[in-house]
Amino acid sequence: MIELEQPVEAGHEMRAEIRRISNRTRARRVATSRVMVLLCAVALTLAAVPLALLIYQLLKNGVPVLNKAFFTTVPSTPTLIAPNATGGVSNAIVGSIALNIYASVLAIPVGVFVGIYLAETESKLATTLRTIAQTMAGAPSILMGLFAFSFVVHDLKIGFSALAGSFALAVLMLPVIILSSEIAVRNVPATLREAGLALGAKPHKVSMRVVLPSALTGIVTGAILALSRAVGETAPVLLVIGGGFTNTWGLLNPVSALPLSIFENAKSPWPSQRAQVWGVALVLVAFIFLVSLTARIWASRKQQVRN
Amino acid sequence: MTQVPTDLRKHEEVVAEFGSATTSRTWYFYVLLAAAVLFLLVSIGFVGTIFWSSLPTWLHGGLSLLTGKGWTAPNGPFGGLAMIAGTIETSLIALAIAVLIGLGTSIAIVFYIPRRLRNIVATLVELLAAVPSIVYGLWGLLVLAPWMATTVNPWLNKLPFATTIFGNPGQEFGTSLLLASIVLGIMIIPTFVAISREVIAVVPQDLIEACLSLGATRWQVIREVVLPTAKVGLYGATFLSLARATGETVAVAMVAGGVANMQFHLLYPGTSIASWIALQFGESTSKEVAALMALGVLLMLLNFGLSLISRSLVNRQRKLLATV
Repeated sequence: MIELEQPVEAGHEMRAEIRRISNRTRARRVATSRVMVLLCAVALTLAAVPLALLIYQLLKNGVPVLNKAFFTTVPSTPTLIAPNATGGVSNAIVGSIALNIYASVLAIPVGVFVGIYLAETESKLATTLRTIAQTMAGAPSILMGLFAFSFVVHDLKIGFSALAGSFALAVLMLPVIILSSEIAVRNVPATLREAGLALGAKPHKVSMRVVLPSALTGIVTGAILALSRAVGETAPVLLVIGGGFTNTWGLLNPVSALPLSIFENAKSPWPSQRAQVWGVALVLVAFIFLVSLTARIWASRKQQVRN
Repeated sequence: MTQVPTDLRKHEEVVAEFGSATTSRTWYFYVLLAAAVLFLLVSIGFVGTIFWSSLPTWLHGGLSLLTGKGWTAPNGPFGGLAMIAGTIETSLIALAIAVLIGLGTSIAIVFYIPRRLRNIVATLVELLAAVPSIVYGLWGLLVLAPWMATTVNPWLNKLPFATTIFGNPGQEFGTSLLLASIVLGIMIIPTFVAISREVIAVVPQDLIEACLSLGATRWQVIREVVLPTAKVGLYGATFLSLARATGETVAVAMVAGGVANMQFHLLYPGTSIASWIALQFGESTSKEVAALMALGVLLMLLNFGLSLISRSLVNRQRKLLATV
């Protein structure tokens, strides 16, 4: 109605004016949008650059020190006469393998059973345990070291040992395994359970014979990822394994571990020892990447086959 | 994942109607229950033993651990103020770095990167999380610290007022609270991205399309629709990253310098609660062990509090979106 009262000329002018303003703001909005895309790209680059630099440095400094002696001999202390006599790190390799095998034996069965319990029960205990597991999964790993020290080393009087270290790592792995197993069991299609029940099987048989095998991929992947985190952890083992210089599989002996040997030798006054640390770090990172990538790829293949 | 038809029943419904492994008292039920009780005992032991071992410190020194400045080994007094301050300084700066870079990264992954590349980039960010903290520490100590000492410190000190803020330690040492913050920041980016990417990706598509249809640009959609919708979850991601940063141990132990001084000039060395425990534990007597355990109690309370806040925020976000 307003349009009718206004002269035709004025309407034209107004429309042109509006178009002019809207084009101007549009140009500005588009420009802002472009700048923001650029900023996001910068952020993405900044997130990726450290990883690239880190891997470059690891390869550049790590590969030259890897040789047969590195893997097969125990460390020795360089002297003024033989400043390059660092020996190898076989004690740390053996120690890391031993620690993580013992920790897996302690943590995986319990963790998987608790995970199944959480998935199959609606009770106060289950809700409490889930909250505890979520909280402990994010707890600083040094606390696991303090726990293992007070309980295993001090209270049980077992002393600095592989047992104490694997206990700390087991406590670290436990909540991670619990949470991933619970998810794996919950993700099994409910139709499978219904089908089992329809055939007349008792609920616990269905859970054991039908649901558990289908959840196995998820459970195994979760356990492997927990393990690959434990392998690289320094803080929990730092306080309790004592750091031995021999290759030993003994539960009660003090042992070394790859992360521990990095922590101890990175500040070494000997350039040869500082150089060797890069090799240890490379081995550690390569192992972790290999294991976690394989686990992920394997899990997604299995998933595809099932679907 | 293939789309599950909606008329099929969920896990919980089937379990509720027909029962599960834990409905009848079979041996399998008792195995599961035993494991659950064992885990409960472990968690009680975890909190209990650390608290119990720290009792001597609380009984003798009262709250002086929270207010005292000096750390005199082996007999005390043990003051934790320097470590508390160091933890707060390093984690807050790290958080600022991680949130800025992480938010941009999440937005880029969800909205800007072509679908085919998305998985690769996401995997790369996850790899960043898989690198052990000791390796970040090593990298910080042997690569970044010398670079800080020879390049960054002199450059920073040419800026006006920078010396008053950062201090001027010269070119001797690169290890400092600032370096610790930077390394921490890099380390917690993946934590922030993991959650923020998830909460950004589940913002309902119809809200986004409605905004686009009104003529908004991509960025306007993100600023006016996506970020406000995901706000609560993003706060959750922030608190979780903060929890990670406060608990990080060995990397900070290697690059912060490990000096128990109250230090607000960021180019000087300092320490944090967690890294101080790691550095001091080896040579400590029973009195000092108790004091370090008390620091552990502080760290535990701090971490549990932060992760509780973070979880409730992320859950609130999930409920919020479930009702949209």
